[in-house]
Amino acid sequence: MSRAVTQTPFSPEDMARRRKRAIALALVLAGLVVLFFVTTIVRLGGNAGMRSF
Amino acid sequence: MGGFHTDISGTAAAQGGQGTAGDYFALLKPRVMSLVIFTALVGIVAAPGTIHPWLGAVALLAIAVGAGASGALNMWYDADIDAVMQRTASRPVPRGAILPGEALGFGLTLAAGSVLVLGLLVSWAAAALLAFTIFFYAVVYTMWLKRSTPQNIVIGGAAGAFPPMIGWATVTGSVDLGSIALFLIIFMWTPPHFWALALWREGDYAKAGIPMLPVVAGPDETRRQILIYSLLLVPITFLPPLLGTAGLFYTIAAVILGAAFLYHAAQVYRRREGAAADRACKKLFGFSILWLFLIFAAILVERGLGLAIFQPVIG
Repeated sequence: MSRAVTQTPFSPEDMARRRKRAIALALVLAGLVVLFFVTTIVRLGGNAGMRSF
Repeated sequence: MGGFHTDISGTAAAQGGQGTAGDYFALLKPRVMSLVIFTALVGIVAAPGTIHPWLGAVALLAIAVGAGASGALNMWYDADIDAVMQRTASRPVPRGAILPGEALGFGLTLAAGSVLVLGLLVSWAAAALLAFTIFFYAVVYTMWLKRSTPQNIVIGGAAGAFPPMIGWATVTGSVDLGSIALFLIIFMWTPPHFWALALWREGDYAKAGIPMLPVVAGPDETRRQILIYSLLLVPITFLPPLLGTAGLFYTIAAVILGAAFLYHAAQVYRRREGAAADRACKKLFGFSILWLFLIFAAILVERGLGLAIFQPVIG
């Protein structure tokens, strides 16, 4: 049985660029999570404690 | 869109995915973005009322990203003419670092994202203005006016003038006379600013087939138009004090800056030959950027120091 040779079509430089872009995208997504979370807290403000349940 | 002068077909670059994070950042036109952030900040500070600092920062971020999206869409569409102009040939798309489709996808994603973030988190009125601004810059200016009329930057200049209005709307949720005054300052500033650049880059624009005023009407007419628009610009800078948006500090700054702007515009008008003419154009172009920064900074300083603002005379 012959072993399938897995070969990436990308050069090491390409892979490095992809990795950097992926990290940048991950940081942007994490930033958006923080942005939405903090903004929600800010917009709720003191009103959250005044809600009647 | 016309053919690209940089043929990357059959190369690794043709597959896409070659752009670095830095190339994508360059698509956002960061220098333009910094001026947009600053003028939008002045709109937020000058508006009557207050906004939570965090929400103000979120609004600035969304406006900045929206401006960046416009830049990316502009670079996608204009890649063919960017390739033939010396000033723009090294941009990521004509250089082959980013494919046109990648720039388009990036621009559209950021455009939708910035409008949604501004609307959902801060103000839908401001988000609507941001969406209109992106549309105006990418479609009305880039796709239509830029290649069809020498009035391209006069009308298209509106896109660059909207940010303080968007900033203002994040606070008030509306378009008011005060924000229109800030809009008008940038709107009237744009033609002398860009025509000064176009005068000494005339060959570049002619090569790319862009009907900039110096190419179509000649340098003399352009100099005349620069002077006319400068003469119209200066009185408009006194609208904020008349509308109760600014006070004495700003007014004094506007007088000094207005005189300096007119001096530089007059130099461009007078010096028409050789190196002196080029120098005058470069000086006006450089000074106009500083001028816009300073006139908006005057409002910021005035508010920051808590100086008195005039009562509105009109409006």
